[in-house]
Amino acid sequence: MMRPIASLGRSTLDALSALGRAAMFLAQSAVGIPSREGWHLWLRQMHFIGVMSLAIVLVSGLFIGMVLGLQGYTILVGFGAEDALGQMVALSLLRELAPVVAALLFAGRAGSALTAEIGLMKATEQLTSMEMIGVDPLRRIVAPRLWAGFISMPLLTVGFSVVGIWGGYLVGVQWLGVFDGSYWSNMQSSVAFVDDILNGMLKSVVFGLVVTWIAVFQGYDLIPTSEGISRATTRTVVYSSLAVLGLDFVLTALMFGELG
Amino acid sequence: MFDNYRDVDERYVTDTTLVDVEGLHFSRGENDIFRGVDLRIPKGKITAVMGPSGTGKTTLLKLIGGQLVPDAGRVCIDGEDVHGLSRRALFRMRRRMGMLFQSGALFSDLSVFENVAFPLRVHTDLPEAMVRDIVLMKLQSVGLRGARNLSPAELSGGMARRVALARAVALDPELVLYDEPFVGQDPISMGVLVELIKTVNQALGLTAVIVSHDIKETLSIADYVYIIADGQVMAHGTPQTLDVNRDARVKQFVHGEPDGPVPFHYPAPDFYRDILASKGERS
Repeated sequence: MMRPIASLGRSTLDALSALGRAAMFLAQSAVGIPSREGWHLWLRQMHFIGVMSLAIVLVSGLFIGMVLGLQGYTILVGFGAEDALGQMVALSLLRELAPVVAALLFAGRAGSALTAEIGLMKATEQLTSMEMIGVDPLRRIVAPRLWAGFISMPLLTVGFSVVGIWGGYLVGVQWLGVFDGSYWSNMQSSVAFVDDILNGMLKSVVFGLVVTWIAVFQGYDLIPTSEGISRATTRTVVYSSLAVLGLDFVLTALMFGELG
Repeated sequence: MFDNYRDVDERYVTDTTLVDVEGLHFSRGENDIFRGVDLRIPKGKITAVMGPSGTGKTTLLKLIGGQLVPDAGRVCIDGEDVHGLSRRALFRMRRRMGMLFQSGALFSDLSVFENVAFPLRVHTDLPEAMVRDIVLMKLQSVGLRGARNLSPAELSGGMARRVALARAVALDPELVLYDEPFVGQDPISMGVLVELIKTVNQALGLTAVIVSHDIKETLSIADYVYIIADGQVMAHGTPQTLDVNRDARVKQFVHGEPDGPVPFHYPAPDFYRDILASKGERS
C-alpha cells in the first residue's frame, strides 16, 4: 500500500530536484555572455550548431513548402480560391510550421550532438580537468553552446520559411499554373509583420532556448558511462520534442487565441 | 590503534604544511567512504596516499581539489578552507594546483601543443612567443616536443599521461595531485613516468600528492606514505618504516600478499553448502 505512494513521492522529489538543478545550471551558464575573449568559442559553436544544421533545415523547408503548395492547391481549387495559395502557404509556415519543424529538426541534429559531445567530455574527465585548471566549464563549454543555439534557431527558422515559400511557389505557380501575381500580392496583403512574422520569430527564440538548454543540461548532468550518454541523448530528443509541441500550443493560445 | 597524524615522523615534517586534512568524513548514499581521515601534506615533498582499490583515494583528491564537499571535517590549503571558498575564489585557488588524471583527460578538440598552452592562455596575458617557448620547454621536459602537432587521439596511453603532466605543471603550480599515474602502463612508460614525476618535482620544487596502489613505483619516489583502508588512515610513515611495519594489514598491502586480513573471497555462504544447494536445485 505504502510502496506506490513512496515511489510516487520519490519520483516527484527527483523530478523537482532535476528541475532545480536545471534552473541553477541555466542561471550560471547564461552569465557567460559572448565576450571579446570568448568570441572565437561562440563563433565556432555558431558554425557547428547553426551552419551545420542549415542543410537539413533548408531541404526540409523546401519539401514542406512544396507539399503545402500541392495540398493547398488541391483544396483551394475546389472552391475556386487557388489565388489564395500564397497566403495559405505563408501563414502556415510563418505562424506554425517553420518554428516548430525547424525546432524539431534542430533537436534531432544539433541537440543530440550537443548532449553526446558534452557527455563524452564528462565521461573522459575533460570537464573535471578544466575545473581543476581553474576554468569554469559552465562558462567555457556550456555558455557558448547555449548562446549559439539561442541565436541560431531564429535564423534557421527564417531560412526555413523563405525556402518553404519558394517551394510553394515552385509547385503552385511554376507547376500547377497559379497566377504568380496573385500568389505574391495575396501573401503581401494578408501577412502582418507583428502578428505573423514577429510572433513566429518569438516562438523560435523560445524554442531555441528550451531545446539548447535541455540538450546541454542533459549532457552535463548525465551519468558518465556509455549507457548514460545513450540515455541522455534519447532524453534530449524526447524532452525537446515534447517541450516544443507543448510550448507551441501555449504560445499559440497566447498570441492568436483572441483572433477567433 | 595508530598514531595520530599529528605524530608524523618529525624528520619528515620539518617544513610548513601545505595541505591539512582534518577529521574528514564523506559518504555516498549509505556507503561511508571516509570516517575521520587526518592527513598532513608538507611543502616541497612527495606524499603518497595508498590503499586497496575502492578505498576512496581518487575521492580524496577530489575533496582536496574542492570538487566534492565533505560531510564533516575540513581541507585547508595554505591555511584556507577549500570548502569555505566562493566558486570564484575556488577557481582562483585551483590555478595554484595541477592535477594529473588517470585517463590524462586531454581536451580532445585541441592539439598536444594547445592542450599544454591552455592554462597559459586562459590565466595569463603572455605574448604568443612566450607561450610557445614555455609550452615547448614543458613538452621537452616530458620528451614530447616532437609530438606537439598530434591530436590526443593519436597518442598512446603513456604519451597522453606525459602530455597531461606537462599541462598540469604549465603554470608552475605549488601543488600537483596525481591520480593513479601508473595504472595500465607498460614497464617502459611506467619507468618514464616515475622518473618524470621525481625530476619535475625536484626541478620545480613542487608539493606532490600521489594516489596509487602501485607499491613499488610509488614507494620508490615518495617521501612519506599514508595508507588508507576502511575509511581511515590505517598507517603512515616513510617508505622505510612501512616496509618493516608489523601490522598484519599493512604487511599484506605493502608486500602484496593475496590473502590476509583483507580476505581473498568476497563474503559468501559456506562453499560446501552452496555447491550442495545448487545440486539440489538442479535435481
